[in-house]
Amino acid sequence: MNEQRKDILDMLAEGKITPDEAERLIAALERDQPPMAASSEVRPKGKAKYLYLMVDSIDNGEPGRVNARVPLQLLRAGVQLAALIPPQALAQANAELSRSGVPFDLTQLKPEQLEALVEHLDEVTLEVDHPDAKIRVFCE
Amino acid sequence: MPQLLTVRVQRPQGRLIRIWVPVLPVVLVLSPFLILAALVAAVACLVYRVRVMRAFGTGWRLFCALPGTRFDVHEGRTAVLVSIR
Repeated sequence: MNEQRKDILDMLAEGKITPDEAERLIAALERDQPPMAASSEVRPKGKAKYLYLMVDSIDNGEPGRVNARVPLQLLRAGVQLAALIPPQALAQANAELSRSGVPFDLTQLKPEQLEALVEHLDEVTLEVDHPDAKIRVFCE
Repeated sequence: MPQLLTVRVQRPQGRLIRIWVPVLPVVLVLSPFLILAALVAAVACLVYRVRVMRAFGTGWRLFCALPGTRFDVHEGRTAVLVSIR
């Protein structure tokens, strides 16, 4: 609810204007406001429900297509699994990562950080154009 | 909680297989095995020092978040669709 609409409703609640006047004011307010653009770029933040993965490829001359839709709720629940990984498993994974040249400490990765990552996924759009494949990852 | 699992397989010969799996009846039928699996999982949690209730809670949340998941794969004349509602 925007500020002007709230002010009108407050005035109505305080008895300063009649319901008819409030209705006229709100109608005038809606007329003055620019129409919402239809593009997905103005989608309200945090409203995305699904993560989509779309791959169109050509393998050996045959077209291939993968469409995957994963609820963001599932990702949110999935990141909580990180808290269940036993410390000894994390230590082993860290050792393997270092051996592979990736000095990354998984014990420093907190579930809250992963949750924040998932929360901001709806702003991410990834597109890869390759002669043999087209990949698109986005949230909607 | 998921209600229905749909699997559709299109073979290169043109044969189409559709399977609808109602989740709740299947869970009820398999409940003795699920209880056994839960016990094994609880023991595994204790062995690896993972909090049992937290593990079950996370597993339940994952299960309940499944509706809406959909995988659709086409490769040439073969297609597989898995959908959870």
